[in-house]
Amino acid sequence: MEQFLEQLINALVLGGIYALIAVGYTMVYGIIELINFAHGEIFMLGAYLAFALVTVFGLPFWIAVPISMLLCAGIGMLMDLVAYRPLRNAPRLSALITAIGVSIGLQNLARIIWGAKQRPFPPESLPAFLRPGAPPTEPLPAFSLTETAIALPGGAYLPYRDLSIILLALFLMITLNRLVSLTKIGKAMRACAQDRVAANLMGINTNRVIVITFAIGSALGAVAGVMVGVKEIIEPTMGYYKGVAAFAAAVLGGIGNITGAMLGGLLIGFAEVFGAGYIPYGYGSGYRVAIAYIVMIAVIIIRPSGLFGKSTATRA
Amino acid sequence: MRNWLIGLLIVAFVSILGCSHQPEVRVAVAGPLTGNAAAFGEMIKRGAELKAKEINEAGGINGMKLTLIFGDDAGTEKEARAVATRFATDRRILAVVGHFNSACSLAGKPIYAENGIVELSPGSTNVSVCEGSDWTFRNLYRDDFQGEFIAKYIKNVLTELQSVGVLFDNDDYGRGLKDAFTAEAEIIGLNIVAAEAYDRDNTDFKAQLTSIKAKNPEVIFVSGLYSQAALIVKQAREAGITAQFFGADGVDSPDFLEIAGIAAEGTYLTTPFTFGAGGEEALKVAQAFEAEFGVPPDTWAALTYDAVGMIAEAIEKTHNKEAQLAENRKAIRDHLASLDTAEEGYKGITGLTYFDKNGDTLNKPAYVKIVKDGKFTTAPKQMLEL
Repeated sequence: MEQFLEQLINALVLGGIYALIAVGYTMVYGIIELINFAHGEIFMLGAYLAFALVTVFGLPFWIAVPISMLLCAGIGMLMDLVAYRPLRNAPRLSALITAIGVSIGLQNLARIIWGAKQRPFPPESLPAFLRPGAPPTEPLPAFSLTETAIALPGGAYLPYRDLSIILLALFLMITLNRLVSLTKIGKAMRACAQDRVAANLMGINTNRVIVITFAIGSALGAVAGVMVGVKEIIEPTMGYYKGVAAFAAAVLGGIGNITGAMLGGLLIGFAEVFGAGYIPYGYGSGYRVAIAYIVMIAVIIIRPSGLFGKSTATRA
Repeated sequence: MRNWLIGLLIVAFVSILGCSHQPEVRVAVAGPLTGNAAAFGEMIKRGAELKAKEINEAGGINGMKLTLIFGDDAGTEKEARAVATRFATDRRILAVVGHFNSACSLAGKPIYAENGIVELSPGSTNVSVCEGSDWTFRNLYRDDFQGEFIAKYIKNVLTELQSVGVLFDNDDYGRGLKDAFTAEAEIIGLNIVAAEAYDRDNTDFKAQLTSIKAKNPEVIFVSGLYSQAALIVKQAREAGITAQFFGADGVDSPDFLEIAGIAAEGTYLTTPFTFGAGGEEALKVAQAFEAEFGVPPDTWAALTYDAVGMIAEAIEKTHNKEAQLAENRKAIRDHLASLDTAEEGYKGITGLTYFDKNGDTLNKPAYVKIVKDGKFTTAPKQMLEL
């Protein structure tokens, strides 16, 4: 029971992070039908920029994160202006190859600036409740609080950091959902996703909508990057590994559908963690990434357009 | 168009001028200069550079300048194959020091053998690295020895701790070492309660740690590299795991301490060399290294320093300017292969190196280090006799 509870937390945290990244893939795809492979690199830059703001400029963590989000939103917009907008009416393959190029370029840029070494967020730069916790030496009663974690019934611990990641991911996704369904820009996004040409004819500035989509997706990616940086480690290739898993999540949920991407992210997180945790003899733990893809493939076989995807019979 | 031609001419002219008249010999060094074993690659590069600098300052190899060519295999088999092909087919390169990761040395092995060039690894410990090739050597112990050593150390020295959980990297090094460890543990009756694999590209090990925690081992042996080991130790402490951690030589990097922070405290690890046990010569090199690069050297810098020294000695004794490249390459191999007894061995800072018929070094002991106050220190109890 204790083990199950802990694995559940592990899965929720990982799933939340995947969901935040997956949303960035799916929003862009929904509107311009481009798989933006460079989105994983935005996620990586989000972590590095926050890291640089904290260590080089000495900013407090809670100021560094929003600035990093803004910078990443800017980079996302710039990426669209420089790399994708000139190819808007080119064959889709050209834009896809460009995206891969941007991804490789940004990854190596980070390697040049920060080096290939892995870096943790220095613990002293983090707010106390986010720091890696010392081990609780003796079991505490349920729901009592330590400096960095809540004791759960059965002897498991929920670190505040992980709780913050789950809550923040949840909050951001609800906000995004409300934004898309209630605001004017959200309406414009949905219109563009349905039919870009018609939306343009109705007087919607589609280029502006696309740029804003890139900005929102990139800002969410940046938050996920910071989360992974705090929880795990920052390295130039982090965007690739987490990005591919998140991309699988977006496809699984039905690419182009935001709710689908959120649920897809959670599902991939659960598949990885519970696969690694409960499939015995090392088959689960050694192949946890593969398990996530097997789940994705299984879903795609049954529902080719993903969990929430609309039928795409007219498209190749 | 004309400007372009003139520019090209200038470049060509300058590069001709730039060639010094001193003849040179080229030796390649291959290792993970980027990727998630990059901290090793950095030390390997520096160790090699220091030795080359010392050789050249002392007049070079028979008056020839030693030039090092570096190749980045990123710690992956795919890149290792590309680097090996580039080096093996380069007509100016006489021998290769590398690779570091066992998987990379194994990937390069057939390419080097086919082209007849020596591959001398300063870091690969997987049992089969030197097997079946006349051209592959290494100047450190094998994992069958290391795995056995760790099992015995836990059994005989850490006597209060009796149950072990193993977390291993799912590659040639991690799996090979884990197999050697579990085989010995069965023989001597050390109780292994869990074995979980992980993938080196991953940075989240919570799922594996939670399953291991349920088995409640007293020792957790991490058979893998420093960056994952550091994250494992860190995430384990957060998950409330209080077990004693034990790592192998893959964990022996200053970056382990940097990434893991306070969670590294108390971790045991084995290593083929420590400067504390290396004598005066080793300390002199350590000082020179620190003066040159601003950081103290690690085990891999020392082993690479010696590997470059061995190759340089082989070139010095066998190189014939008139001979073909293939003959010179073969002469280096034959010289290394002839170092097969303690008397003939190469005396470096990491001790005496000589090879068995496979090209393995079997005489070097394992040392145990422990992390204390954020630093690696030689553990109070060593076990130099198995």
